[in-house]
This record gives sequence, C-alpha cells and structure tokens, in this order.
Amino acid sequence: MFKKIIEKSFEKSPWLFHINAGSCNACDIEFVATLTPRYDAERFGFKLTGTPRHADIIVVSGPVTEQSKDRVIRTIAQVPNPKVIVALGSCPASGNIFAGSYSVLHTLDYYVPVDVYVPGCSPKPEAIIDGLYKAVEILKNKRRDNK
Amino acid sequence: MLILKYLFYIFVFPGFLFCFFAGLILAGIDRKIVARMQKRIGPPILQPFYDFFKLMGKETIIPNSAAKRTFIAAPVAGLISLVTISLFIPIFKFSAFNAVADVIVIIYLLTIPAVSLIIGGSSSGSPYAGVGISREMVSIVSYELPLIIALLAVGKKAGMAVNDGMVTFSLSKIVEYQSLKGPMLFHWSMIPAFLAMLFVIPCEVGSLPFDIAEAEVEICEGPLVEYSGFPLGIYKLNYALKIFIFSSLFVTLFLSGNGTGIILFDAAIQYVLCIIVVILSVSLIRAVTARLRVEQMLKFYWTYPTALSILSLILVWLGL
Repeated sequence: MFKKIIEKSFEKSPWLFHINAGSCNACDIEFVATLTPRYDAERFGFKLTGTPRHADIIVVSGPVTEQSKDRVIRTIAQVPNPKVIVALGSCPASGNIFAGSYSVLHTLDYYVPVDVYVPGCSPKPEAIIDGLYKAVEILKNKRRDNK
Repeated sequence: MLILKYLFYIFVFPGFLFCFFAGLILAGIDRKIVARMQKRIGPPILQPFYDFFKLMGKETIIPNSAAKRTFIAAPVAGLISLVTISLFIPIFKFSAFNAVADVIVIIYLLTIPAVSLIIGGSSSGSPYAGVGISREMVSIVSYELPLIIALLAVGKKAGMAVNDGMVTFSLSKIVEYQSLKGPMLFHWSMIPAFLAMLFVIPCEVGSLPFDIAEAEVEICEGPLVEYSGFPLGIYKLNYALKIFIFSSLFVTLFLSGNGTGIILFDAAIQYVLCIIVVILSVSLIRAVTARLRVEQMLKFYWTYPTALSILSLILVWLGL
C-alpha cells in the first residue's frame, strides 16, 4: 500500500532546483514567471527549493562554460536519487548563439544525462510547464524501475 | 487494560496518528488559503501528505562531514516531543494525561523541536546550517519572552478564581476557569495577551515574515541544507505538527470552556477553532509580508508583543 502511495506522491510533489550554468538570464526570468500567480506551477505541486539535497527535478539553463562545468556536475551529483535533469532553453541543448565561443565547452548532455529538453530562446512559461510535466512522468518511471 | 488505553492515547487519538493527519491537513489548508489570497489556484489540500510520502521514498544522503547518529536522531527527537505535548493539551474537558504536566512542561517541550533543528543543523557540518542555527537561536530568544509573560497573565487570571489568588500553571485549572466564567478571550483584560500570543504563533512555527532561520533563497534553508529523504520528511512533519499543536494550545488557553461533553464533537470544534486561528495568525500574515532581518525580528518581539502581554499582566494583577 505504501509503495503505491509513494509512487503517487512522486507524481504530485516534484521539487525543483534551478542551476544557472552561464545563462543570459532570459530563461531564468521565464522560469521564475512559471512560479508566479499567473501560471502558478504550485498547483501541480512544483516548489522551488534552495538546496540540491531537497530537489527531484534539476533545471539547468545556459550553456556549460569552462567556469561552471565543475560546479554543475558537482551540484547535480548532490541530488538524491531518483532525479530528472531538464535542459531549459536552447543553450544547454546546443550552445545556441554561444556555440563555438572560447569559453563554452560542450553541450550539457556531454557531461550529465539529460532527460527533457525545453527548446526556445527563451521558452514560454507554458512550454516550461509542459516540459516539467514530462519530467514528472520520467521521475515516476525512474522510481518504479529502481524499486 | 490501562496500558492498552494509554497506548491508544499515545499512538492514536490525541497522540501520533491524530496529530499526523490534523497537522498535515492544517498545513495544506494554510498553503491553499495563502494561494487563494494571492489569486492562485494553489496546491491541493493533501499536498503536505504527498510531500511527506515522496520524501519517504527518496534516497537519504548523509554527508561525510556529518555526525551520522545525531544527524538522523535529531528530527525524530523533535517529533517525539511534539507528540508528547499533544498528550498534555486538554481538548475542552478531555485530556489524556492530565495531572502529570502543566504549562511549564509544555514550554520546555515546545523548545525541543527548535533545539532539534539546531542540533541537526550543527551536526550536518555545513556553513549554511551554521548561519541558520544562529538565526534559529535568536528566534527562540525573541518569541519566548512575550510567550511566557502572556502565559503568566493567563495563569494569574485563572488562579484568581480557582486557585485562591495564586498563579496557576495547571492547564486543567485554566480550562476549569473558562468553563465557569466563559472563554479567556471574553475578559477584556486578556485581549492584549491574546493579541501577543497571535503574534507569537508565526515565529514559533517559523512561517514567512519570521522564517529567517530557514530562508531558502539566502541561506539555502539553513539547518535543513544537508537533509534529504527520510529525516527531511520528519522535519516537514514537525513543521506541520508545530502549527497544529501551538494553535491547539492557543485554543485551549483562550477559547476553551465547557464543550459538549462528547469527545468527538469537542475535538471537531477544537480543530475548527485551530483552523481559524491559523488562518488569522499564519496564513494572513504570510500572504502579505516579506521576510524580516534578524535584528528586526528581535526588536519587534521585544517591543510590541511583550508590551501587550505586560499590559495584560498588569491589568490582571490589578484585579480587572
């Protein structure tokens, strides 16, 4: 019985942690907008946490730069399993306009396994909520497969 | 038979299970009300249950620098002390263990959840937790003063009538007084103490204007920064239980009385009053304010609520 309750709870209460890997701040603003009263991601149980230890879904925005590479990898390693990584915007997916820059090394999936891409420069709040909801499905499946 | 009765008290009715459901539903109602005040739809009322069970299913990471046993035991100690308080608080005329504890024991036990937060935070070995626990200590110091003076005023008021003019700290005496003379709130000399206690609740439970110890954007949730999985779930449960138990204590001190005589109805009435108190003191303030700084909080508590409770104490001492 408890197994079922816990599985349902994973669906209903995903907590977010946001990493800025060198973003231009546009995606961050759109991401914060999804949590404001107009879009209200809290109605699905999404909650922005302050520390990676509490998180289920890690949202990474911006291209992975030489400076932020180690920090992104270490922060994601601190998140307890099961976890889902969401690449927010085009930058972590492809490098976008920063591709080929001297400070931008690789795409995000070169370093960590990315589960959901939310493309756009920058994506709309509706698209972000849609992406997060896909992440919740993956989170639930990960929980089911591990246990 | 007696042991069975006590076990029922401890684990089911005024004890663990009742507190578990009552506290988490109360926390859910609080979140929903705040959301509605901010023109949001808000999470479902069962959201704290989902959060709790999800945390039970997560991996528990214990950092290398942490003291392992203290790290796990601290939240459980807080939970046990909260369940213990629930046994001592009378629900109108019914109380599980009446004669063994008075208000002073409850004050001590109410401090333990905060102390468990301090111990757990300091055992995690994180610098953010260090900042958080120093703030938590300041918050204990700030709310404790008006709380105790207000309790003194309540004790004196009840003692005047039922304890030969001496201050009484027995909760059953306070309830007895209220069943004789009507709820404390209806005596005008108690209204300042009532307001002071209303201000104490948000600080005691650590909700928004006074949640400086767990500020999630500045110091990464303070003492909870390294917690994950099971112990974090227990801390979230402690938060919900604190809201329920403190509002329940508040109802017993100020809005109690004869009751209906049937435990089930009494518990329901007490719970409805708890919801009203929480909406007034936690949700309303949480929806409209931003976080204070440490010294602002100390200054606030040592001026207005303290002055209000001292005013009430003087009025009671003069026999009004």
